[in-house]
Amino acid sequence: MNDATKQNLESAGINTEGLVARCVGNEALSLKLLKLFLQDENYPLLVESLKNGDRDAALRASHTLKGMTGNISAERLFALFSEQVARMRAGDWESAASMMAEISPAYETLVGAISGNLA
Amino acid sequence: MGIGKADSILIIDDDPIVRKLLGNIFSAKYRIVEAADGPEGLYKLLDHTDEICAVLLDVIIPGMSGIEVLRKIHAKGLLELFPVFLITSEFTDEVLQEAYTLGVMDVIAKPFLPYMVEKRVSSVIELFSARSKLASTVTNQETKIKLQEEKIADLSLGMIESLATVIEFRSVESGEHVRRIYNITKYLLEKTDVGAGFTKEQIDLIALASMMHDVGKISIPDAILNKPGRLTPEEYEIMKTHSAKGAEFLSAIPSFRALDSFQYAYDIARHHHERWDGKGYPDGLKGDAIPIYTQVVAIADVYDALLSRRVYKDPINAAQVLEMLSSGECGAFNPLLMDSFFSVERELRKFYKPAN
Repeated sequence: MNDATKQNLESAGINTEGLVARCVGNEALSLKLLKLFLQDENYPLLVESLKNGDRDAALRASHTLKGMTGNISAERLFALFSEQVARMRAGDWESAASMMAEISPAYETLVGAISGNLA
Repeated sequence: MGIGKADSILIIDDDPIVRKLLGNIFSAKYRIVEAADGPEGLYKLLDHTDEICAVLLDVIIPGMSGIEVLRKIHAKGLLELFPVFLITSEFTDEVLQEAYTLGVMDVIAKPFLPYMVEKRVSSVIELFSARSKLASTVTNQETKIKLQEEKIADLSLGMIESLATVIEFRSVESGEHVRRIYNITKYLLEKTDVGAGFTKEQIDLIALASMMHDVGKISIPDAILNKPGRLTPEEYEIMKTHSAKGAEFLSAIPSFRALDSFQYAYDIARHHHERWDGKGYPDGLKGDAIPIYTQVVAIADVYDALLSRRVYKDPINAAQVLEMLSSGECGAFNPLLMDSFFSVERELRKFYKPAN
């Protein structure tokens, strides 16, 4: 990972050091994981289920996204999804849904940074 | 399925990122097998059973929950072969309790720290490996011990056979008599109804015991033992004492009394000349008062005497021997024993040289 890439990923909210550490120093793997993240379909699923009021599906999707963002060390998104899941579990659906206002832009930035920097 | 080291770790998780992260932790020392859901996990598990040394299982997976997968693994008794680790962010008490009850080795929280997962999983894999090595060492040793026990048993058989043969040798007959009585007694007990109710071990002991039926002959003077003609009544009375003397002799030797076959040997020595009609010696036992194994040795003894050359007679051919036995001319026997005896006599004849 060159410095520029690192910078860009960091700006998008990824703790690159933490990510590589989780990969036990295997940088190539860390990049692979980021690419895998791009294949995720849980985000559109989350958006869809919140629109339809499908609470079970929304919770599953958010929970999965929480795990995935945690694993790639996208720390801010991890915190956001954690909070969203907590609110959903507490039954605060409206406030959970309202978090999408923060989540969506952060998610889009992240995806943009990954696809932009990794061929 | 291959034969060889169990060195594969099966990772069941629907998140490809998690599978790669976990795989990466172990890929240096282990082979990694991945599955994205319960059914695929089970399929791969059954396909690779011999190679798997650990399973990492997520709880929330599509199709079948991780707990259901765990239940199935448990039902197949596979938890004894390899450790299963639950890796999950779901930590409800219910889930934990059922998991531990089913026999999960450990529950590792998500998000996980690589060095922690590595440590916890490898330690257990090593323990399982050491345990199975120990089990096979124990099995090897058990096998060795068994072989030694068999050697000792062979030794005992050899010693008893030697003793009996040495005593028999005085009467100029070959030591083959002892071996034939052993073979015939064993055959009748193993292959016919008369042996019903005896275990294989007991039959072996009885056969061994049968070799000592005539040890009492050591007390009979040569002149009588080897007289080529008919015995006088007085000589016959002396000859008859060999049964009681034989039993006495056996019980006088402490190490003989200690043998498992002693009870059989004592009775066989003392009573192998008793008759079904009660007219035998020394105790005049009648019918079923004579233990069946003693009756077997008795008929074997008569059969052998008739078929073989003796100092006082020539061998008699088989057809005539059977005639003499069934007519009651040569002893009185249990009718059921006779039936069994005649049913296999052809086979018993094989213990004798072709002349008969």
